[in-house]
Formats: sequence, structure tokens, C-alpha cells
Amino acid sequence: MDLAVKDIRRHLGKFIATIAGVGLLLTIVLVMNGIYQGNIADGVWLIENTATDMWVVERGRGGPFNESSRIPLDAYKSVAATPGIARASPFIVYAAQRDVGGANQQFTIIGYDVFGVLGGPGRIVRGRAISAAHYEMVADAKLGLELGDQVRLGQHEYRVVGVTGEAVDPSGNPLVYLSLPDAQEIQYQQDTQALVAARAANLKRLERAGYTSEQASKLLPLLAGSTDTINAVLLRLAPGADAEAVRKHIRDWLYFDAYTSAEERELMLEGRLRRMSAVLGLFRSLLVVVSIVIIALIVYVLTIEKIRSIATLKLIGAPNWVIVRLIMEQSLAITLASFAFAWFASGLIEPRFPRTLIFLPQETLATFLVMLAGGVAASLMAIWHALRTPPQVALGG
Amino acid sequence: MAIVEVSGLNKTFGSGELAVHALRDISFSANAGELVALIGPSGSGKSTLLLCMSLILVPSSGRIVMNGHTVYDAGATDLDVRRFRRENIGFIFQAHNLIPFLNARENISLVLHLNGAGKREAARRAQELLEYLEIGHRADSMPANLSGGEQQRVAIGRALANQPPLIFADEPTAALDTDRGIRVMGLLRKIARERNSAVITVTHDHRMIEGFDSVYHMMDGRFVDRTEATH
Repeated sequence: MDLAVKDIRRHLGKFIATIAGVGLLLTIVLVMNGIYQGNIADGVWLIENTATDMWVVERGRGGPFNESSRIPLDAYKSVAATPGIARASPFIVYAAQRDVGGANQQFTIIGYDVFGVLGGPGRIVRGRAISAAHYEMVADAKLGLELGDQVRLGQHEYRVVGVTGEAVDPSGNPLVYLSLPDAQEIQYQQDTQALVAARAANLKRLERAGYTSEQASKLLPLLAGSTDTINAVLLRLAPGADAEAVRKHIRDWLYFDAYTSAEERELMLEGRLRRMSAVLGLFRSLLVVVSIVIIALIVYVLTIEKIRSIATLKLIGAPNWVIVRLIMEQSLAITLASFAFAWFASGLIEPRFPRTLIFLPQETLATFLVMLAGGVAASLMAIWHALRTPPQVALGG
Repeated sequence: MAIVEVSGLNKTFGSGELAVHALRDISFSANAGELVALIGPSGSGKSTLLLCMSLILVPSSGRIVMNGHTVYDAGATDLDVRRFRRENIGFIFQAHNLIPFLNARENISLVLHLNGAGKREAARRAQELLEYLEIGHRADSMPANLSGGEQQRVAIGRALANQPPLIFADEPTAALDTDRGIRVMGLLRKIARERNSAVITVTHDHRMIEGFDSVYHMMDGRFVDRTEATH
């Protein structure tokens, strides 16, 4: 006779409520696992899905993703002339928040040379890449756009010609690909009122400096901010080229830094992602410990509730294994059912979660094994208490 | 034939000036089919005697023989206590102590399972016992849905399940009203006669001892009086 099953059947509502409670906690553990892996995957997605051998950035900067990097547009031509380089292409990246697809959304704009082969969208699931110099865009499916949609960014409308899947920046925001001039225009475009105000302020400064109004008006265009800035130059090495030699040349002669994609990935993992990953890792460790403690307390309380029955079992001659089995089975039932609940719930949550969730089977299995071991360990305290209970507890009123 | 023989039994808790002599030179026996009552006020030692005979407390000295086995003789034995209890002693408790998540039939068949009976065999014999105790129609009821008297009958069924030669009843009528208490006592008497078990009952309720073969009166750990058959 399986006493644990009989008890669970008798108190089904209580067990279901317990499993739902512990299961929700374990769901958070699994989701944290998913966020942890998703955070890493998002963090390096753009690096791993941008066709380039090296990233050339402003000297002394860990850019273009960990910090801002600004280099003159024309610099890519100097880079292209470096020995050992087959191609070089300008690249800009910046965050934006605009009304897109009927909602105010945050996304990242990538500007690249649409007629080159470097920097374009890596994972187009519908449509095509940008083939015109202006007013075409490739957007990620997360933005809710469809092929042919027109999106106003600044003063112009851009037509969606391609849709990517899971193309995100290191923060998990969807990507929008534009031609380099379009991306620059949107980045530096100012509101008319802001332009008028800036012009008036500059005019006043020039007049205060002693220029006549006529002279100041002529000088005004020279004070306008330059839009010919990019964040990085992507380059393709010539066959057989030595990356280290190329890097040294760029560093010594062009005064820029150059990172391979592997180095850029490492910069991301060790820089921007490290603290976030550490925090997530700490949280999920704490949640696992809290879950095990809660299971231990639940099993302990369930055992205490049955202590008179356990004493009666001892008195009527039940061997210890009957009592151990009763407690252990219930502990395992709670652990297994809660984990199954969590697994199912996390599967339901995944497509609706605002961040990328990645559930690695080996990590889910490891979490399951830790919880299983925790469930067994959790029952030990209750078993110890039950085995120490004297049978005379059953006697008396 | 004596099912239980206790001779010169002593039990002392603590030592020195703080020593409490719970049992002092207790000797008595109970035969098969005999209904014995241990009666006395609280602290008289009747529960301690029951615990010693139940192999829960180890006596300080003396000898206990049960069903031909010397279970205690001024020293520990290598007896498998739980197995001995399972095979030789049935317990009836004041608060019935039914397992709350098992129905009436399962509460009885559990004991049969523990003694190796198969599922069907245990269920069949449990049902027979419930019929014998006139509550066969409540076999599927959970303890919480049974009256106090019905619960005590199930508890009696559980005590009888393995046909033990010895049954210990600890205040079996304390939780029942007078009518139900008298009926339970009548049932114990019937069991002693029909099943040839020695039934030893601890009680402090003088109203319930009518019909007992022997009544031992306890006070301060001693037998102070013994009354023979009152029927």
C-alpha cells in the first residue's frame, strides 16, 4: 500500500496548491536561467551575426557596443588602403525610440553600406536585404512590422523590404537596418524649432565676437555639426593576411584600435555582460536555495501534521522503511510535480516574455538534478524527526 | 494458557533523590480469552506498565514473557521489537488513531500488508473484520466521516487484523459517551471469548469494568487490589 499516494489523493487540493506555489518559484528559476542565457545570446548576437573579420573603432575605446566610438566617415577609405585588407565598410549603430507599428518602441538602428558586403542583416526570414540607396529598411519581427509597411522615421518614410528573426542589440532591443546615409540623417536630424534656436544662438555668439550680421550669416554653416561620423569600420581581411599585422598597422598609422570578432565578443562578455550575468547567476542560485528550503519546510510541516499517524505506524509495528518511503515519496512528488509545472509554465511564458529566453537542455537538466537532490535532502530533516518520534506519542488523548 | 506473564517488574525514572519509581514489583498474568483491566488514577503507573508490556519502555528490572517469548529478563534481548509487536500485539487507542488519509478498510488492511498479505487478500480480510464489527457498510468511509463509535470499531478491527494473541487497549472508551463505551467494552469481551485473545485494558473509568475477568487496581506503581470476575 502506497501511503504517500493515499495521502496525496486524500489532500489533493492542498498538494495541488503546494505544487502550484513551489512550481511558480521554480518557474522563476527556469526563467532566470533563460534570461541568463538570453542575455548572453543577445549580448553577442550582433557581433556574431555581422559579416566582418575585424572591427575598427576610435583609439582607446572598447566600442562600438561597450562605449561610444566616433571616427570620421572618410577614415574607412584609409582603412581600406591598409595592406592585407580586402574590403572596408562604414558602420553606425545607435539606439532610438519612436512610434513604430502603432506603438512607441525602443530599437537600435544599424547603418551600413548597402552596396558592400559587410554589416548587413544576417538573418532575414522574409523579404530581402536593402538594395536601394534610400528609404528602404529591414526590421526585426519583434517590432511587429510586415513586408511593405511604411515607417516614418524623421522626415521620411521607409518601406520594410525585409524582416529578420531574433535580430537584437546587446540589450535585447530589435534591430532596424538602414542604408548608411539614411541612418546618419535620422541620427543627426534636428527638429525645425531646434535648428532655428541653434542658428539664433550661433548668430548671437558670432555677433558678440565682433562679426557683423552679414559676416555672421556667412559663417553660420561652418558652425553646423558634422554628420559625417561613423562608429566603426568593418573590414574583411585579404586571403592569407595576418590579422595581427593589420591591427598593428591600423594602430600605428591610422591611430585607431582594431578588434577581431572573437575579441569584440570577449569585450562584450567581460565588460557589459559580466555584471549582469553575475547578478542573474546570483539570483538564480539564491532562488534554487530558497526553493529547496521551501520544499524542506513544506515536507517538514507535512510530516509534523502526520506525526501521530507515524507514531501509530511505529506502534503497530511498521518498519522504518515504510515511514521513510512515505516522507521521501511525498518530497519527490512535490519536487517532480513542481518542476514539471515550472517546465510547462516556462514554455508558455517564453514566447510572451519581453526579453529573449534561451532554455538550454543541459542547463534545465542540471537545475532538475539540483532540485531533485535538494528534494531528497529536504526530506532528510523530516525523516530524521519522524524516526526519532517515540511510538508512545500515539498513546494518550 | 498464559499469554502474558509479568513478574517482579520495576521501572524507575531518574536516579538518586530525583528517582521516580513508576512501577514497583509488579507481577500478574493474563490467559488466552481473558479480559483484564488495569485501573487506577492518573500517575498510578498503569500507562507505564502498558508501555513496558508494549516493548516501548525498557523496565529497570523484572521479567516479561509474552506468547512464550521472553521479551525482557533483566537485560536487553535481541528481539525485533517492531516485528514482535506486529505479529503478537494489537493496539486500541483512546483517540482511535486511525490513519486519516486511509478509509476504514485500508486502515485495517494496512496492518495485514505490513505482515505480508497481498492486496486482495488484505482487502478481503479487512472487509470480513468490518462485517464482524457490524460496520461493513462503512468500509469506504474516511475516518473523518465516521462517528466516534464507528472509528473505535475500525480501530478494534485494525487491532484484530493479524489475529494477535494479545490486545492492549489504552483508555478505549475515554472518547466515547457511556452507551457507546459500554458497547465497545461488550465488543472487547466478545473478542476475548470468540478469538481467544488476552485483552488488557487500561482505564480509569470504573463504570466500564463490568464483565472483566480480572481487575487490577493500581496506586503509586503497585497493585493494591485485584478483583476477580464480576460477571
